[in-house]
Amino acid sequence: MDEAALIRAAQAGDHDAFERLVRNYDQSVLKLATNLLRSPDDACDIYQEAFLRVYKNINSFRFDCSFHTWLYRIVTNLCLDQLRKRKVHRTESSIIDTPEGTIDRLESTPESRPHSDPQRSLLSTEIKNRIEAALSGMSARERVVFEMRHYQGMRLRAIGDVLGTSEEAAKNCLFRATQKMRTALGDLL
Amino acid sequence: MNCDDARQFLLLAGYGELSFEEEEALELHVAACPECQAVRAGNASLETLLAQAELDPPPGLLARCRRDLAVRIIEESAPARRFSLVDFWNRWVVHPPMWFRPAGALAMLAVGFFAARLVPESSALAKFTSPDQPASIARVRLVNAADSGQVRVLYDEIRQREMTGSLQNDQIRNMLLSAAADPSDPGLRVDTMDLLKNHGERDEVRQVLLHALRGDPNSGVRLKALDGLRAYARETETRQALAEVVQHDDNPGVRVQAIDLLLENRQPEVVGLLQELMRREDNSYIRTRSQKALREMKASVDTF
Repeated sequence: MDEAALIRAAQAGDHDAFERLVRNYDQSVLKLATNLLRSPDDACDIYQEAFLRVYKNINSFRFDCSFHTWLYRIVTNLCLDQLRKRKVHRTESSIIDTPEGTIDRLESTPESRPHSDPQRSLLSTEIKNRIEAALSGMSARERVVFEMRHYQGMRLRAIGDVLGTSEEAAKNCLFRATQKMRTALGDLL
Repeated sequence: MNCDDARQFLLLAGYGELSFEEEEALELHVAACPECQAVRAGNASLETLLAQAELDPPPGLLARCRRDLAVRIIEESAPARRFSLVDFWNRWVVHPPMWFRPAGALAMLAVGFFAARLVPESSALAKFTSPDQPASIARVRLVNAADSGQVRVLYDEIRQREMTGSLQNDQIRNMLLSAAADPSDPGLRVDTMDLLKNHGERDEVRQVLLHALRGDPNSGVRLKALDGLRAYARETETRQALAEVVQHDDNPGVRVQAIDLLLENRQPEVVGLLQELMRREDNSYIRTRSQKALREMKASVDTF
């Protein structure tokens, strides 16, 4: 059964067809969310929410764009919201005054499960911190474009479609994001 | 082409986003420009560093996401498929349709009137109206003043009840059988299976265990159900369910437990299943176990 037939079957209430649709895309969705949010739990929440929205709204899908574009639009919107929320939360200073003087709460909080991901433990702390810092320094949209182009291998035109913008705007966004990453890793390149 | 253009093009070239002409122009510029050659080398280093920072979802996360999604979809579609006491309560008692309200109020008054007549004052029900035990009031339905100066209030009440008893008690057992099918709470289903698993001698319990083993979206529930079926591993229905699990369950842990149980109670008809597993099973433990069993049964490891 091709994708259009699967979608029509899912719209008619066929649960198996819906599950096959999910399984066609869910690995790449989970990977995108994991890399964007750098948190398996948050990625899992995005996965649930995205596919639940697809399930609830599958009847409103009118084949105006590809299913991939429609799904990624949902996923990236959820990720953008999450990243923006984090930015808001992070504006709160980590430096607090205590009777013993000022302390940085981030420095006094031990990293949880430091060895839970073997890939990350292989990465030197300095490189990891600098890449994380560069990603944090990007706007939510730059980060999404960077992730979709760099790690997901999506064409700029497709990224523009997903984000509801032009290929040119996606290209500029990618260029800015890469410049930020280059600046952060400057002496290592 | 100047160096600014070239640097933008170098990035896009790395992603395969340039046209043939653009790439040719870029190559011409870079060949003659040491600075842009350095930028190209820097881009390659950047690729290497970023490749190290790429995260793959942790093992098991995808399976967890799929199961949780299945549960949430069941929850979403549940009202359409089965009777829900909560929905019934909400639809007909908390927010009844306008046309039903007078009839409902009348019916409640009638129930209250006859209940008061039928129930002796000393009964346990009388305690609910005692002023020193405040009720959990869901909604006040009616208020009016009596001639005596008293105020009469008619209200709906929601109560949480507790029941204690052994599993021999029909009511307790029926509640557990109902909880075992509650799609909204995998934790509740795991606890329920844990209680039911030692009572598979009852047909209705065994059917619930078989149903959970075959189709519960939570692997923890399926494992508990499998545990409860150990004593019945020689029965045809249990063996059929185990064979289905070995072939189709997406959790290797459940498949491993199922193949172990099937082989502990080895029957000749299992040969075909083992040969099929040798053909398509990815899990090395299951393959090894199947191979060993086939050899012990003097059956061919391959199908022809």
